[in-house]
Amino acid sequence: MNKVKILLVCAVVIGFSSCSKFLDEKPTNQVDAGTSIKTPADAQIMINGIERSMTNGDYYGRNFIMYADAKGGDMVIPSQGRGNDGLYTFNHAPTTGSYSGYWSQIYFILLQVNNLLQNIEKLEAGGATGFATYKGQALTLRALMYFDLVRLYGKSYDDNKDAYGVPNVTTPLVSSAQPLRNTVAENYTQILSDLTTAAPLLVKTKTNGFINYFGNIALQARVYLYMKDHANALKYAEEVITTSPYVLYTNANWVDSWKTQFGTESIFELGIYPLEGDLGLTSLGAYLRKKGEGGSNVLGWYMASDYFLNRLKQDAADVRWGVMNDDETSTALAPRKGSLYKYNGSTALAGDGKTTPTAVNIKVIRLSEIYLIAAEAALPTDAGKAATYLNAIRKRSPNLPAATAGTITIDMILDERSKELFGEGHRFFDMMRLNKSITFNDEVIGLTVATRPKTIDRTFFKTILPISQTEINANPGLQEQQNPQYNQ
Amino acid sequence: MPATSFQNALVGRAAGVQVTTSSGQAGATPAIRIRGVGSMNASNEPLYVIDGVPVVAGDQGNLSGSYIGSNNVMNTLNPADIETITILKDAAASSLYGSRAANGVVLITTKKGKQGKPSVHLASSIGFTPSWATDNYEAAGPQEQTNMLYRIFYDYRTSAGQTPEQANTYALGQLNTKFNKHGYKFATAGTTLNENVIITGMTDGLVNREGTYFNWDDAYFGTGIYQTNDLSVSGGDQNTTYYTSLNYTKDQNRIKINKFDRISGRANITQKVGKHTEFATNVAIARNGQSGFNDTRNTGANYFFQVRNLLWPFYWPTDYKTGLPWTARYGSLAQNNVYYNDRWDNESITKRFTINEAITLTILPELNLKSVFSFDNSAINDHLYYSAIHYNGAATNGVVNETSANISKLVSSNTANFAKQFDKHNVTVLAGFEAEKNKTSFQSATGTNLPSSALQTLSTAGAFTASGFDYGNAIVSVLSRVEYNYDQKYFASASYRRDGSSKLAPETRWGNFWSAAASWRISGEDFMKDLEAISNLRLRASYGVNGTLPTQNYGWRSLTNYTNKYNGNAGGFLSTNANPDLTWETNYTTNIALDFGLFNQRLTGSVEYFNRDSKNLLQDIPISGTTGFGSALGNVGEMNNRGVEVELGGDIINTANGIRWTASVNASFIKSKVTKLYGGRDIIWYDPTGGDARAQYMYREGQPTLSFYGYEWAGVDPANGANVWYVNNPTDAKAGDFLYNGRGATNSFNKANYKIIGDATPKVYGGLNTDVSYKGLTLAFNFIYKIGGNLYDGGFKDVEDDGYYWERIRAQEVWDNMWTPERKGGTLPLLRGGRLNRPHAVQHPPDAQRKLLPA
Repeated sequence: MNKVKILLVCAVVIGFSSCSKFLDEKPTNQVDAGTSIKTPADAQIMINGIERSMTNGDYYGRNFIMYADAKGGDMVIPSQGRGNDGLYTFNHAPTTGSYSGYWSQIYFILLQVNNLLQNIEKLEAGGATGFATYKGQALTLRALMYFDLVRLYGKSYDDNKDAYGVPNVTTPLVSSAQPLRNTVAENYTQILSDLTTAAPLLVKTKTNGFINYFGNIALQARVYLYMKDHANALKYAEEVITTSPYVLYTNANWVDSWKTQFGTESIFELGIYPLEGDLGLTSLGAYLRKKGEGGSNVLGWYMASDYFLNRLKQDAADVRWGVMNDDETSTALAPRKGSLYKYNGSTALAGDGKTTPTAVNIKVIRLSEIYLIAAEAALPTDAGKAATYLNAIRKRSPNLPAATAGTITIDMILDERSKELFGEGHRFFDMMRLNKSITFNDEVIGLTVATRPKTIDRTFFKTILPISQTEINANPGLQEQQNPQYNQ
Repeated sequence: MPATSFQNALVGRAAGVQVTTSSGQAGATPAIRIRGVGSMNASNEPLYVIDGVPVVAGDQGNLSGSYIGSNNVMNTLNPADIETITILKDAAASSLYGSRAANGVVLITTKKGKQGKPSVHLASSIGFTPSWATDNYEAAGPQEQTNMLYRIFYDYRTSAGQTPEQANTYALGQLNTKFNKHGYKFATAGTTLNENVIITGMTDGLVNREGTYFNWDDAYFGTGIYQTNDLSVSGGDQNTTYYTSLNYTKDQNRIKINKFDRISGRANITQKVGKHTEFATNVAIARNGQSGFNDTRNTGANYFFQVRNLLWPFYWPTDYKTGLPWTARYGSLAQNNVYYNDRWDNESITKRFTINEAITLTILPELNLKSVFSFDNSAINDHLYYSAIHYNGAATNGVVNETSANISKLVSSNTANFAKQFDKHNVTVLAGFEAEKNKTSFQSATGTNLPSSALQTLSTAGAFTASGFDYGNAIVSVLSRVEYNYDQKYFASASYRRDGSSKLAPETRWGNFWSAAASWRISGEDFMKDLEAISNLRLRASYGVNGTLPTQNYGWRSLTNYTNKYNGNAGGFLSTNANPDLTWETNYTTNIALDFGLFNQRLTGSVEYFNRDSKNLLQDIPISGTTGFGSALGNVGEMNNRGVEVELGGDIINTANGIRWTASVNASFIKSKVTKLYGGRDIIWYDPTGGDARAQYMYREGQPTLSFYGYEWAGVDPANGANVWYVNNPTDAKAGDFLYNGRGATNSFNKANYKIIGDATPKVYGGLNTDVSYKGLTLAFNFIYKIGGNLYDGGFKDVEDDGYYWERIRAQEVWDNMWTPERKGGTLPLLRGGRLNRPHAVQHPPDAQRKLLPA
């Protein structure tokens, strides 16, 4: 009996003495954030996480790409109620259809970037080295994300750069933070500052799936084009064209380029693998397919508008028909190749070399776009040069006459962008920055859209998204800064 | 009454206890609320204590994101093994269970053997549930459905400026496009909005379906059958007692593919060794199997909503032209699960064992030491498979997922108990130490690209992904209690304990909790002796403080997670929005009660008043998304719950020949409000349950805790059938597009302002129970009620859809009550085509209307 008593006493004593250890419970799959970034290898792991977050369905994985294509007039919904119609119908209000996923997902990734940058800064202040490329990548990605945010929520740079852009957050924030919006100009200043700081830190070799020097300056070319700073846009575009390891696809290999990862044009491409960022039936590939193809859950969410198809029909031999296939309205008598298969590898759902056809990489910046940027940037000052750059892409419609200094127009370049970059997240933003009007092909499905006119331009208030009511509830200062007309 | 879990048997049985099961699935987890709500983050579930030891409870499965909605681990407990269930509500009574007891304690004692000859008990019972014993959301008939859809299409064209002829052609064209393929065609006699659409069958197929419609109710639902078989043997002598049992329960849910079964066994043994030592060992082992759908509101998986909202009687599981299975998705987006149910599989197996060892050492007659050690382990294996043919497996050429979670709880408790009587003074003192460790080991593997539909095995898959990790928490406590009574008439007690939890940072993790209580047994007084009718009368009062912990294990830690793999390499990200200042939510509870028994306890009852002030409420509150997160867990404010509970029960008939008729009734009157918000700012939050964040609530100082926050629906404009919302401009009550009932109103909800439009807390709730038993046959009647309070009816918005979703079924209620030019008093809006600005649920008229209905 005494033994038992002693045992009990021991149990109590041991219990007390090891209390603090007993209560130190940690998960086995996560580490204290304070200790997670110590070496360049740790920084690489954080960059990996950032890139994966960028392929989330609310961002480059689907909705961000869809945004510019659904709203740009080149696509149309085959029916209502299948999903994401709100982009096409501009059914946006602060409380419903605010598409706040863009805001929350991009700011979530910005937190990751800011956290990495803050840690690198601390480590470098302590004398650590080897972080240059990670800092350069993080800064470039931050610039890309602010560029995307300001295009979603702010007016075009040349429309009103003093209007509200987005809150410019460059350090990790505490939970109680309620930052207010900066102006569009301030956002662009931050974007350029990040890009120019980052450029010299980056390598010039190909880094599949990651930002390198050319990814950075290609983005600078794009940003300057949006700012109508044609000199700089041309300068950076030409630097990519003349000094980078990237080369244009030939007409012969253009179609098959969609079957390959990290092709010769891919300046920045986000990787997607089966069971790793693969959105499956909610991927871009499945969204843009013909209804029912590859599973009864494939609904045929979006297809090409007549306007786009007519543009591509300018040349029946246009190589870009190779990624188009019959859509659900197509019949034997009236074939209609309105479904886009870029994100399925091929019209036979070949994928880009992985086991599932939906695990297809997202091409964020391609060399073709840089040529078209160069053409557009050169146009006001050197039409001959502009024609040369345009023709490098225009030759993909072999039966169309080449542009010359005498015939080239901004609309020709814009049409080429539409054909070449269809489904890659550009059309709507192009129309906005160039102050063009957009007409929607609603009659394809006999739709009357109550939430927007048939034709819009950038004076229409819904060409920028509302700040969601959820955000305003948590950050009431934004109520006063809501985008115009959304509060009425 | 047969019940899979003992929790469902608690329904309506005790005052202040609310049991709600939001899912009709076999084996689902009911929510139990004792005395209203605490905070929304911290669990509101009570603590379950079996034979003196806290146990793992609640939903412990990992398929909730998939099909099985919830896996109630308490289903492993066989109701037949339960000797008594006691619910502790006040702070003093529950003080021994400390920090975990803030939401009340459900004390369960399992059966023990009694001295004497072995007693063998064999019982078998069976129960039935009708296939669909409710008329909620009753769908309109095929004719009314068709007429309503016709009206929507018709309106869609006329409101775009077309003629009646054009609109009629368009509407019929739409109906024919949608349903010709299912074997029906449509015509009208005239071209007005009001046409009765003539439905006939297509004659170009194998069958002509004219006049016949498919009954999806019958296809998906059947009679639920519940069977249970119990065998127990118990007995004992002076030194040893034993109770052993074996149970097999099978529950075929009314949803045909939902099944639950349980095999469980228990051995409770006590053994005295010498004069001073007693060992008590309780061992329980159970295996539960569960399969089928969850039935959350997600229409992708919820049969009930599908048959009420998506599955037209025109849809058949076969193609009328070929007789082959219909495999395409129906126009309403429902799937033909008559076909697909054979092309997927799921199962959740729970194996649980609980070992409970107690040693009591009597050192002196007045002093004993008790050491309890308990190990509670549940291994849950979830299997989910979709073949390459199934719509969920098509993208990946089949997918199989195996998840295993091993949930263990270790409890060690050592107490010294002193009891002494001097004269009429009785004193007991308890002091002890307790430690608890909870750990879950989680492993999951997914395989895709499956070669054969005959094999659902991971090892056959072409591609894999896997994850595995552990998480958990620990609590350490020191506890003490002193009790005193004089002559069994005057009672007083006090307790104190100190708890430390790993869920809080080292600086904040320790909390001190205490209680004090007194009672007076009035019926023990001499002056009561003459009142023979009163067999018991007791007045009780207590006050105490206890605490609540956050549900998150690591809410105070800032953590980096590595699951964001990129191109085959680990990818890290900050996964938590840490709040290092997180601290205990504390509850200050006052309790005053009067218990009485009359006529030799034939009639018993109690009246009880309670007041619970909760401070440092734990809640996830929405924060600016610019921080990278949408919400942050914090200690945000204070609330008060108070009320009165009344219980009355008695034997109406209790005869010597074995007929017994008992009845009881209970009622709880409760008021719950937010008394303080730190920082003073209102907090808008969303219903955290159901994964369907539709009900929106508001915490505002002075307002009820469960205040619905949304647009105020004014009704239907009798002039045109349009929805009317009150604008509720805070500065000008008349601001708006027009006046309605003297208040500013609008047809566009976007122009309205949110306001508090209802309170979900009922004014009174309770139960009414009556049992008649005679020689082992029992007839029981159990009725629960709720009076007052508003209900959020998330489902109704789908079945009253006023035009956004074209090919959806609408409820009969819509057909009967919708506004039409002929029925200007209609209470539901005019059906419109192309109503594209479908508002958020809480703003939608019938939600508002429903919400303001007494529940």
